[in-house]
Amino acid sequence: MKKFKLTIPFFSIAILTLFSCHKNKDEGADNVVNQTNKKDILASFCINTSQATYSDLANKVALLNDAISVFDTSSTEINLTKCKDLWRGSRSAWEQSEGFLFGPAATDNIDPKIDTWPVDYVALDSVLNSAAIFTGTYINNLDDALRGFHPVEYLLFGKNGSKKAIEFSAREKQYLTALSTNLKSLTASLSESWNNGYANHVITAGTNGSVYATQLAAYEEIVNSLIDICDEVANGKIETPFLAQDPNLEESPFSKNSITDFTNNIKSVQNVYEGKYINDGKGLEDLVKSQNLSLNASIKNKITAALNALNAITVPFGEAILTQQVQVKNAQNAIRELKNELDKNLLPFIKQHVI
Amino acid sequence: MSFRYNKHKIIYFAIALLVVVMVVQSCQKEPQELTEEELNETLSGGTQTVFNSGGGAYGQPFPNMSGNNGFVHGVGDAAFEATFVSSPSPINPGLGPIFNSVSCRSCHIADGRGKPPMPGEQLSSMLIRLSVSGQEAHGGPIGIPGFGDQLQTKAIVGSKAEADLDIKYSYKTYSFPDGQKYELRSPSYQLKNPYIPLPGSYMVSPRVAPPVFGLGLLEAIPEWAVLANEDVNDANGDGISGKANYGWDEVKKQKALGRFGWKAAMPTILQQSAGAYQQDMGITNFIYKTKSAFGQSQYKPEMDAIIDVTDSLLHAVDFYVKTLAVPARRNAGDATVKRGKMIFQQANCTSCHIATFKTDVNVAFREISNQTIFPYTDLLLHDMGTELADNRPDYLANGQEWRTSPLWGIGLTQVVNGHNNFLHDGRARNLTEAIMWHGGEAEQSKQHIQKLSSIDRNALLKFLESL
Repeated sequence: MKKFKLTIPFFSIAILTLFSCHKNKDEGADNVVNQTNKKDILASFCINTSQATYSDLANKVALLNDAISVFDTSSTEINLTKCKDLWRGSRSAWEQSEGFLFGPAATDNIDPKIDTWPVDYVALDSVLNSAAIFTGTYINNLDDALRGFHPVEYLLFGKNGSKKAIEFSAREKQYLTALSTNLKSLTASLSESWNNGYANHVITAGTNGSVYATQLAAYEEIVNSLIDICDEVANGKIETPFLAQDPNLEESPFSKNSITDFTNNIKSVQNVYEGKYINDGKGLEDLVKSQNLSLNASIKNKITAALNALNAITVPFGEAILTQQVQVKNAQNAIRELKNELDKNLLPFIKQHVI
Repeated sequence: MSFRYNKHKIIYFAIALLVVVMVVQSCQKEPQELTEEELNETLSGGTQTVFNSGGGAYGQPFPNMSGNNGFVHGVGDAAFEATFVSSPSPINPGLGPIFNSVSCRSCHIADGRGKPPMPGEQLSSMLIRLSVSGQEAHGGPIGIPGFGDQLQTKAIVGSKAEADLDIKYSYKTYSFPDGQKYELRSPSYQLKNPYIPLPGSYMVSPRVAPPVFGLGLLEAIPEWAVLANEDVNDANGDGISGKANYGWDEVKKQKALGRFGWKAAMPTILQQSAGAYQQDMGITNFIYKTKSAFGQSQYKPEMDAIIDVTDSLLHAVDFYVKTLAVPARRNAGDATVKRGKMIFQQANCTSCHIATFKTDVNVAFREISNQTIFPYTDLLLHDMGTELADNRPDYLANGQEWRTSPLWGIGLTQVVNGHNNFLHDGRARNLTEAIMWHGGEAEQSKQHIQKLSSIDRNALLKFLESL
């Protein structure tokens, strides 16, 4: 009896000690959004944003590839317009993936293979003038500045953006077909890499086998990528041509698509934050909302402000740096503010609430 | 009855007190798993440590740079990413005529580690050094006439690549005493389709692109501190020598302590960057004013009509590399990691992979001044045995000697670069293989590790992964 009575306090010690330490470990983490929910957000990021975007990219590039093949045999203005539209559609998906440029896009070198800029015109002309047969291997062995989105853009739209169907040589059409086939296989492999492994690294962050030693590491990876794309747009893509006042430095000049590119980059931030692309699922916002409504509101406002500021530029970017400098500067500032918000407030928030 | 009750009350009270004390104590202990010394060790780059363990871990700027320094870092970052194309072009002309890659980052992907190509892939983040026997005036290797001392495997239109490279591996399986097997692959290299005939005999040394973060801090280690670990003739008889290499400083035009490159032949980051521009991309600069094809049949003087990168841009790239921060260690307080660290010391890995240095005081560049850093290298040459030898001397380094590679950040290779290929030619496919390739002066350390239990081997790997 006595023994039994004494065991009660000993149990209490054990339980209290365990409990207190467990609680202590979680200090800083919150009790509303538990670990499982944090995993859900990572899973939703993969399913609803990264994998959805890459899968859409692969599908659209496959359609582009088909359309270019059709244009090769039937070179009508209508078929050319279809190709141009599908280039823009594919480009939109790609730019919306640049807010999470980590994993296979980086480690498998997919990014430089499909989105290297500038185009090597001299080499491109000589490729066209050569007798080379455009096999898959031939294209794969080309330098990065001779394949991917921008050479396709250059060939489809022409140097001043107004290329007509009759202006295409047979050789150009063959090269375009081969380039789009290459783009198709690279975007398909990117999508597969996420589906067959990388998404799992993200979702199972913090467990053995994941490249992310902690869940925090995966969250930081995502938030840092958002910061990086804002930095890239504001301080690279906009800043460089703007400072130099040189339209030659614009990234998608032939299609006059740069403002759309920038907008899609910021949409990528929005997609990741809200956990969406086509379908809307859980996102970082759900974690932020549960703890800090004003931070959530501030981030969303700054995303909207950046998108609105870009929307206020009404002429192609190469022109805008010369004729709409106030609007360009406003857009740059709005994106910088978004970057600051993510860097100075969201990142510390994540470090406080995720372990 | 009441006496018994009181006695119980006392016991309960005492136990309750014990509970409170234990709870408080246990809770205080929890975050104190690391001593202050151990905590400092997690800051691998001193105050220039960043807490990033994702894909961008190697590409972060120093965290506390001034506004202007941050700006220059950004300019250098953009230049590091810039893709060069054939001339004439409105943007980034000057590529080639022979080259290895079109931008800095296409070899140093995410500022990280390169790897040998997979079957069917082109050589991209690895290059080949070439030479014939003898030494040039400053003591460096003599390149193959018509090829130079680096093989360019690509060329712009109208020129031919110097040659293609063929890599073959032979495989051999070994096992630890506990039965766990490991396989080592041994590469052999052959040059094919040379643009002009190759001489009958020449030397070949493959080198993967090393990570480029933390180099400013390594450059800031005082020369005396590097030389203090030299023991060229192994006077202390511990089986470990340690020899400084001296390369040629192209700016100061004098012999200088080498710190960078797989054989420590390169004295400065500036010169390394300038050399990479010229040799890897064919981009000329104020240090190397002629194309890499200079003196070869494919060279035309008009190729050198202008200097391709401006002086300020080269300096910005130099500054960018110098100010890339070092990622902090992860899980340093983990019991297994701590055990692994002890094993690392017991196996005497630390005689070459020296954990810590203090950088020099530099009032003109306060970010790198007086920092306690944990690079796990001595920057010295060591004989690594015949198996790893490239048998190609490079200044004072003989064919078996290699510079101790820094180990900081090594545990993030997979997440940053998507592979775990290590050593100068990327032959090791994981850390275990990298360890088991050690020979020569490291033979005893390797044998010590060979005999460990699988639990201890695992602990050692966990420690390395925490770096």
